[in-house]
Amino acid sequence: MLKDPILKSKWYHRAWVASGCTTVLVSLAKSVTVAADSGIWLQPILAGLVGYMLADLGSGIYHWGIDNYGDENTPVFGSQIEAFQGHHKWPWIITRRQFANNLHTLARAVSFTVLPIDLIFNDPVLHGFVGVCLGCIMFSQQFHAWAHSTKSKLHPLVVALQDAGVLVSRSIHGAHNRPLYDSNYCIVSGVWNELLDTYKVFEALEMILFYKLGVRPRSWSEPSPSWTEETDTSSLIAES
Amino acid sequence: MASTPLPTAKHSLPSLLHAQTPKTLLSRKLPNLPKSFQSQFCGVKLSHSSNFAVPSSFKKSSILAKVSKGSVAPSFSLKDQDGKTVSLSKFKGKPVVVYFYPADETPGCTKQACAFRDSYEKFKKAGAEVIGISGDDPSSHKAFAKKYRLPFTLLSDEGNKVRKDWGVPADLFGTLPGRQTYVLDKNGVVQLIYNNQFQPEKHIDETLKFLQSA
Repeated sequence: MLKDPILKSKWYHRAWVASGCTTVLVSLAKSVTVAADSGIWLQPILAGLVGYMLADLGSGIYHWGIDNYGDENTPVFGSQIEAFQGHHKWPWIITRRQFANNLHTLARAVSFTVLPIDLIFNDPVLHGFVGVCLGCIMFSQQFHAWAHSTKSKLHPLVVALQDAGVLVSRSIHGAHNRPLYDSNYCIVSGVWNELLDTYKVFEALEMILFYKLGVRPRSWSEPSPSWTEETDTSSLIAES
Repeated sequence: MASTPLPTAKHSLPSLLHAQTPKTLLSRKLPNLPKSFQSQFCGVKLSHSSNFAVPSSFKKSSILAKVSKGSVAPSFSLKDQDGKTVSLSKFKGKPVVVYFYPADETPGCTKQACAFRDSYEKFKKAGAEVIGISGDDPSSHKAFAKKYRLPFTLLSDEGNKVRKDWGVPADLFGTLPGRQTYVLDKNGVVQLIYNNQFQPEKHIDETLKFLQSA
């Protein structure tokens, strides 16, 4: 069993996850209560569905950006890029991270985003969208971890949701985690992956960025060793 | 990466006698898209006169395009990968495939160049020469040609002047130089124009098919 302390949840990881969950639950609660009061259900529910779909798309765009551009020295995103790089090198580590350790970065971003919306707005449709969308984004890292796990280690409900396409499946995400790491970027449900890859949306964006700004995405070249999966991980397993 | 095979449009000679809108390629599996997307993703082949109705994505370019099927391609003189000046007139007397591509060392352009390389013998057997043109400078072309062992000429259209003269349409609302290939006969008259940004290997299939059937 890995004894690396950075995989365990610290108190501040748990605090951020708690605050993220609180803001999202408040948003969902507002949506439900105001909708119940005014008797409208369809629009908030539809808004929630739209939020779920856009969370998947958003996860793909963010993932594509981080995987392809910048490095550990990039302002704001540097640590994220380093984390994604580490994930490509050691993809199995995500399955060993404790829950809050895995989610805290997203939970922090979600807290800052949803709190003002919770405080300012009462519209049930807006909250239906925000609660589901940002909730899915916050939990996308958990869905991502489940997509790296093996079937035998997952709860049957999770497997059923993966098989149904509600959560990103192990096989779809597995197709991303191999060189050139240039497809299947979405990690909530993965429903956008086929469309984005068939229509070469990211390839088009990469071409535009290259032509206009001269920046080459990492996926155009054979991945450097620092971004490729390390198969010999014996050094990382502590003696038990 | 998943790719759905798409059916090809068929244009036969008798169509010259009837007004016919060239069909863009449609896939039954994928949702209907605006015509401007269809041409970029599925390819559009023009092998008859542009007097006939064209898809809306080409309406703009057909008004501006100075080079269309049946017209004599305007001559140019550009530097090749060795810095030598090459004129289009040098190739008169044999068919020429002139392919405009966005940039060296990009995935689509590399696939296209390598596909032309791999079929080069077939083009030569059909009596044709192949010329690639992009806005990159000769040193970029030299490195690109060396890395992928390209046996044909790459020309530097610095400033994209020839691209504009020929009216090669841009893609994605003008943000990307278009990927368009022209087949000229031995008299320098354009006989085929094929446009497809995201399926670069199709340029080789379409032009070779045309040359082999001519």
